[in-house]
Amino acid sequence: MTRAVWRFLTSHTTCVWVGVAFCLAGAAGSLALGRYPGVFSDMDAHVLLEWFARKGFAAPGPTLWLYGLLLATALMAVNVSCCTFERLVQIFRGHVSLRRLLPHVMHLAFLGVVFFHLVSSVNGDRIPGLRLFVGGVAPIGRTGWALKLDRLDVTMAREGYPRDVRAAVTLYRDRTPVAREVVRTNDPLFHEGYGVYLKDFGPTPWGARYAVFDANRDPGAPGVLVFSVLFTAANLLYLIPPRSRNA
Amino acid sequence: MQGAHLVLFWLTLVAYATESGLQLGGITPKSPYRSALFGGLLLHSLFLGLRWGLSGHAPMAGLFDSLTVFSFCSALSAFLLCGTPETMPAWRILSALVVLPQAGAALLDKRLTPLYPALDTPWFAAHVGLSFLGYGFFAAGLALSWTYLRRGGEEVYRAAGSSALYGFTAFSAGMVCGGIWAFYAWGSYWIWTPKEIWSVVLWVYFAVLTHLKFIPAGEGWPRWGRRLEMGATAVGYFVMLATFLGVSLLLRSSHSF
Repeated sequence: MTRAVWRFLTSHTTCVWVGVAFCLAGAAGSLALGRYPGVFSDMDAHVLLEWFARKGFAAPGPTLWLYGLLLATALMAVNVSCCTFERLVQIFRGHVSLRRLLPHVMHLAFLGVVFFHLVSSVNGDRIPGLRLFVGGVAPIGRTGWALKLDRLDVTMAREGYPRDVRAAVTLYRDRTPVAREVVRTNDPLFHEGYGVYLKDFGPTPWGARYAVFDANRDPGAPGVLVFSVLFTAANLLYLIPPRSRNA
Repeated sequence: MQGAHLVLFWLTLVAYATESGLQLGGITPKSPYRSALFGGLLLHSLFLGLRWGLSGHAPMAGLFDSLTVFSFCSALSAFLLCGTPETMPAWRILSALVVLPQAGAALLDKRLTPLYPALDTPWFAAHVGLSFLGYGFFAAGLALSWTYLRRGGEEVYRAAGSSALYGFTAFSAGMVCGGIWAFYAWGSYWIWTPKEIWSVVLWVYFAVLTHLKFIPAGEGWPRWGRRLEMGATAVGYFVMLATFLGVSLLLRSSHSF
């Protein structure tokens, strides 16, 4: 029995069927996102665990694909772990070469990405839609910080597109400035694990200028980056043809 | 100059259409580098380089640019993966896969447009460029796997396997660049939109595909074997098309294309 379970968990066939299940669940999810906007529209305004704890149980029908996606991801992670453990034992008992190790470096990097994505999905924070008029101040969720929009400069292209948007902001804790920076698109303000992102801007109908910010915390992001780069590096090395057929 | 650079676009289309027509008529070039496809690739490189210079940014924003870059990468894959006498029969299908997106682009608005601030980052060119390079390899994968299913051949089989592996590598690297870009632009490396979900679906599909060859024929159901692996490689092209065009045209997404 144990042997059969282990064989199932280490099998490439399991990997294939779990992958197929993942693809089907994802395809169903992409349709469900548009079909049930009431359920999914605020999905990015919360970290996954917080959102899933509310909506996953309240609307089990429309979120069924997400149960499938999470289950398939978990099974894939278990399959990859068991497969890599078994093969690494075999490799280290025999002939060790970089080429034989590379697929398992990629497997470990994949597991690292899944683990750190889970960290962000559980311990992250999302504070969307901080709307500030020039000179205005707003608290940033429960962080104890307040954000002030000091200045907003918008450069428009002749065609009517915004070419550049610069928002000079100051971050306060207890009325003491702790960070001051010009936030632009692709250039957020980072402070103690949080990023403050410029998301929107505009004048009100009566001409007052405002900017909208999101403040996010993704504690798993550095880990996801490191393991993604490791995966890519191992993948690129794997493309180098082996010196001999037995390598 | 802005209008003149489009002459190169049309000449490229003519070259690709010529190659496709000749292939359909059973006329194949003696060498990959003495073909209309090679001429088209050179013209296409000039066109894209000129468009990059004129617009001041990578020509990869919007449907027109996306389709013509997709066509370029598909043509490039013909020389990277199908350049030997054994693999060149794949050109019959691949030349059609090259000309179709270019012909589609010909129907669209070709004006140069300024870049939105969110796209004004080197990660944009890296993300989109690598993704389309992967798409080009997947196009070669469809042509090679179909050729294998019709005629067989060890070298064709290996080239089809390489197309999936190279495409997967380029697409993975593109996803990493996209994640970095999204983290700086939108505040998270991951957001829940159909495009992002399908990108992961495509990634998982090809990740699994690269494992099929390790399953011995006859193990499990259905009977895994080379023909199934090649069939799955061919289907991968359509999963890619669903990700690239299907999601962008039919569903709401943060991506324009």
